Amino acid sequence: MTFIKLQTPRGTKDYLPPEVEQRRYVEQKLTEAFESWGYQEIRSPAIELVEVLSTGVGSELIDSMFKFQDFDGKIVALRAEMTAPVARIVTAKMLEAPMPIRLFYISNVFRYSQSYLEREREFWQAGVELIGCNTPEADGEVLSLLVSSLMKLGLEGVRIDIGHAGLLKDLLRATGLEKEKKDVLQNLLGYRDEDRLEEFMDQNNFSPDLKEVFLRLSRCRRLEELSSALLKMSEYGRTDDYLRALVEVNDALADYGAENFVFFDFSLVRKIEYYTGIVFEASVPNLGLPLGGGGRYDNLIEKFGKLKIPATGFALEIEKCLQALTAQGCQLSEKPKVKVLVASRFRDLAIKAANSIRGAGIAALLDITRRSKKEIVRYAKCSGIDYVVFVDSSLKKPAAIYDIRLDTVKNMTIKGFLQSVEADQK
Amino acid sequence: MKRRIRIAIPSKGRLSQPSIQALQDAGINVRRKERTYVSETSDSRFEAVFARAFDVPIYIQYGAADLGLTGHDVMLEREADVHELLDLGFGKSRLVVAVPENSAINSIYDIPAVARVATEYPNLCRKYFDGFGKQVEILVVRGTAELAPRLGLAQIIVDITETGETLRRNKLKVIAAILDSSCRLACNRIAYRVFESEINELLDKLRSGGTLTK
Repeated sequence: MTFIKLQTPRGTKDYLPPEVEQRRYVEQKLTEAFESWGYQEIRSPAIELVEVLSTGVGSELIDSMFKFQDFDGKIVALRAEMTAPVARIVTAKMLEAPMPIRLFYISNVFRYSQSYLEREREFWQAGVELIGCNTPEADGEVLSLLVSSLMKLGLEGVRIDIGHAGLLKDLLRATGLEKEKKDVLQNLLGYRDEDRLEEFMDQNNFSPDLKEVFLRLSRCRRLEELSSALLKMSEYGRTDDYLRALVEVNDALADYGAENFVFFDFSLVRKIEYYTGIVFEASVPNLGLPLGGGGRYDNLIEKFGKLKIPATGFALEIEKCLQALTAQGCQLSEKPKVKVLVASRFRDLAIKAANSIRGAGIAALLDITRRSKKEIVRYAKCSGIDYVVFVDSSLKKPAAIYDIRLDTVKNMTIKGFLQSVEADQK
Repeated sequence: MKRRIRIAIPSKGRLSQPSIQALQDAGINVRRKERTYVSETSDSRFEAVFARAFDVPIYIQYGAADLGLTGHDVMLEREADVHELLDLGFGKSRLVVAVPENSAINSIYDIPAVARVATEYPNLCRKYFDGFGKQVEILVVRGTAELAPRLGLAQIIVDITETGETLRRNKLKVIAAILDSSCRLACNRIAYRVFESEINELLDKLRSGGTLTK
């Protein structure tokens, strides 16, 4: 127990500079992508009232929240996802804003994993919410933005699989089965075990029509093929409307040039309950877990107030994006930036030199150790510094400049040095 | 972008040999070599890894293997979010609750308020007893749960049985069945998207390979 002071709580971790750099790269690329589509960033507290965070998300997520009691007796929790907080913000503070509203966030979220698989309990999500619109264009925009963001990260083989929360629900209801059997049926669809699916439908006296519908939908991979499934199925709740909506989304995707990235998956379900329309998941071939996902939630925002406002969005896990990029061998940073260490017996001159280097847009560190030249160079070698500049008694005089990588020394003025670094970078 | 499709196979135990056989019947001969992590197969599109049957679901869920063969019981115990594409028909077994033959416990309802259960399946065990409102203490053991009652470790065991022979030999009687299991072909959800045609071809071959008893 001596080492307990050195640990972080289970499922949390520190991010050291090299990892932060990689994460920053992913966050920046995603921010650029979201902003270029006109999305604006919001932030919200990590702690919220449990009533807010629990609205519409379903018991599984509620169970996974870190909850505790505030001093005034109210129960608060760490946010487990960002859509409910965004719904609260929109209802409380943005109702005057013209719809549609386009928002994005990059936030840490917290989930207490009850499974014995030790998952991270704090992780980062980057996501968007498109609020106040339920057109196929809105779904098309969010899906296309998802594809475009992942490609901007440099990922290859990006693929989105989409299902429909309402379609599956209505068809399960149309079977007339009791709850337990519906669960079995949904499991079989998720298993993609066609033999047992057929066996189950035969045992439970499905009409040939309904059987055909389930088989056809579970085999269908392309959205455009859904239009052919349409005519036959008018008697099963709103399924026809949902299918038509999916086909319309596909038409919109075609105009975005994104239809070849998007596939249909009848069995796709999301663990969070508020979805009402399309639901989707993003993946790449080299990573066995989805990068993130989302969907349409037209009934969530009204649960915060009285106004029914349709909305759709997605969230990506930064960690998964990083894993995918690493698996694909992608470069995870911009061109490395040059770092210069400035040292001198004359402190005022060293500070002046460092400032002028910083002024030229190059990172400059000042030697503050009063070490010997030899020790300073040794420190530079171990610290990822590119040059050490030893300033003489005047800034006009040439300074001794150590190129750490080449292990050479040149005498140059600061001005001349800056020009040569600039030339190198080009 | 296309790489080899990796199949996880139980490295030992009752499912290991039949799994290798099933793949062989489907035209994939696994060339198992000692001290190598990844084994080649006669079909260059596939490679094989050997893992503990209990770990196969984790390998698949996380994409360390694209496909894998293991018991349905293990898949449920590990709560693996994977496709279970095909019931391979062999390895038929049953997860049961068993007690010593001379025990006064004859059904779940006879289980006393304080009871210890030894099992390799803590998750399924917990859910099952919770379903009956029975608060039992669960001890996780690896392998030989059937010894637990004789050694006084637990009065009850939850274990997998094929023929009931091991239970009988250890003087145990079955008082309830939790679920029926058999060996399944499971698939990583994303690998299924990437390799759907190859996987469907394999499914057809497994169906016609003669292994399936159905």
